[in-house]
Amino acid sequence: MGLALTAVTFCLASGYVIVAWGWPRRSSAFPDLLLRAWLATGYGVGLFSVIFFVARVLGLAHLIVADVGVLGLVVAAFFLLRARDMPPDAPRSSEENSRFPQWFGRILTASLAITLGAALYSAVMRALAHPHGEGWDAFAIWNLHARFLFRGGEHWRDGFSTLIPWSHPDYPLLLPAAVAHFWTYLGRESQAAPAIIGLVFTFSTVGLLYSALFILRGREQAMLAAIALLSTPTFIAQGTWQYADVPLSFFFLATVALLCLHDDGSREGAAQRFRGLLVLAGLAAGLGAWTKNEGVLFLAAIIVGRQWTAGRNLGKSTTLAGYTGALLAGIAPTFVLVAYFKHFVAPAGDLFSNPATMLHRVMEPARYWAIIQWFVKEFFRFGGWVIPGTVLMVGLYFAAGKDDRRTRETGFRTSVVALALTMAGYLAVYLITPYDIYWHLRSSLPRLFLQLWPSAVFLFFLGLKGGSCRAGMGHP
Amino acid sequence: MDESPTSGRLPTIAASIFVVCCLLASAKLVIDTPGPGSLKEDEVARRSDQRFAALKAELPQQGIVGYVGESGNRAVGDYYLAQYALAPLVVEHSPNHSLVVGNFLASPPEIPPDNLRLVKDFGNGVLLFASKDAR
Repeated sequence: MGLALTAVTFCLASGYVIVAWGWPRRSSAFPDLLLRAWLATGYGVGLFSVIFFVARVLGLAHLIVADVGVLGLVVAAFFLLRARDMPPDAPRSSEENSRFPQWFGRILTASLAITLGAALYSAVMRALAHPHGEGWDAFAIWNLHARFLFRGGEHWRDGFSTLIPWSHPDYPLLLPAAVAHFWTYLGRESQAAPAIIGLVFTFSTVGLLYSALFILRGREQAMLAAIALLSTPTFIAQGTWQYADVPLSFFFLATVALLCLHDDGSREGAAQRFRGLLVLAGLAAGLGAWTKNEGVLFLAAIIVGRQWTAGRNLGKSTTLAGYTGALLAGIAPTFVLVAYFKHFVAPAGDLFSNPATMLHRVMEPARYWAIIQWFVKEFFRFGGWVIPGTVLMVGLYFAAGKDDRRTRETGFRTSVVALALTMAGYLAVYLITPYDIYWHLRSSLPRLFLQLWPSAVFLFFLGLKGGSCRAGMGHP
Repeated sequence: MDESPTSGRLPTIAASIFVVCCLLASAKLVIDTPGPGSLKEDEVARRSDQRFAALKAELPQQGIVGYVGESGNRAVGDYYLAQYALAPLVVEHSPNHSLVVGNFLASPPEIPPDNLRLVKDFGNGVLLFASKDAR
């Protein structure tokens, strides 16, 4: 138990130091602290996973030494880099102009408490009912890989054998390696580890959504968004399944939120001070690529989206180069890791196995029609709501309108373009899939929507007119 | 402050409807949740770790073993669960190995599959075969 607590402390502390590293200001304001704490959990689990994988590759026997070493390095780098000027937090304006009447604020607070309670109850009960996760992928892919990493010792690479292609040995290892790292501290396998990691990612995603929107748009808009996510039955249920889709959605959201926070902060000048947020955004995108293959697609979409929208909005090539450089600096470490895994450990994936057949499939109009039909159907039935959440949001948009200033910002546009490109990429994968297209759509499309859902909710409420107006990141 | 607040009933009404629908979805989430009384024995553990515990103790620590099993709806899941239990051994769905795991939950075969001889019956349909070619 003591070692398990040590593991959690290492994990969270290293995550927190990484976030503090890129943070533009010293602040003790509640939303700021909250946002850093939620980000720290994701980065911490990500780093924990990376350390385990690297230790396995290098054949290090004493994991705790590697952990202490890495934490020491991160802390030392933090103090070295933070020696530069960092402005303290200015007094936060308490003025908050709300578009909604006061009674509505109280209703929102009560509703948030109810939906949070319901989500917590449901998630914990589901985790208890299915300790090995619900659905096949938990034991056939994610926890199986964790077992190979933990039990395999120097033979850990056996788990990525072509003899068991159904276990998708080409899938990245953020989740399995993090689970195996916690098991190493415990000295045994415990199903509590993947179950708790699943719960942590689920509620960290909600917390991240809430705190980022609180900073950018105020409390009411943040509460509306958090209520929307907490009451998405599929999101809460999937969070307990021990699949990688919810952790991936966390890293997508972290990337998108940090890009928007960066642009919000650097809008009034002092852009250099906010570059750290771009590095953190890149790191989040990179950790997404280390979580699932879809993360690689998103990573590419973010780079393309950033180039496209920043180029149009900023104009100056030097500024654009600075933006891109900071983003790539965050992406680089995990990109190298993913590239190593794909090249030296994992066999080739199943999707791109036969280029000639792929080309043939691309030429079939019936496949396009089938995919579009399924995407439209999923738009209406996604989430397991009583009344489709997507339809409700469309209604809310027409009633409240769009915030023109927010939707013109580079971070917002980059994120929208990136999500659209990612969705287009998903469509393209269905087009070339070697599997039966209907089986593939049925078994994975709801989870692909789920990966993008928290980011879509964030962007929706960020761009929605109304709520309260806060000073934002640049004006604490 | 860079945005002037506007007032209007329509956004409040729309947001209220939105919140009510969210609460309905939350109610559905709770209703669909397994209650404390419905928590049962973990099926994955029963069909994997518990079922293959005795066999696992007699297999090598690492390497590759073969697998033969039943056909039918549950067959694929049974095979995946066998691999889950026996990791870090790689369990290939093929009889062409010196050691082959047999998984016959419904009806164990009366005679071993071709080219295999029975090494040990662990009960409950879990069998260990060896290739007749292997010494």
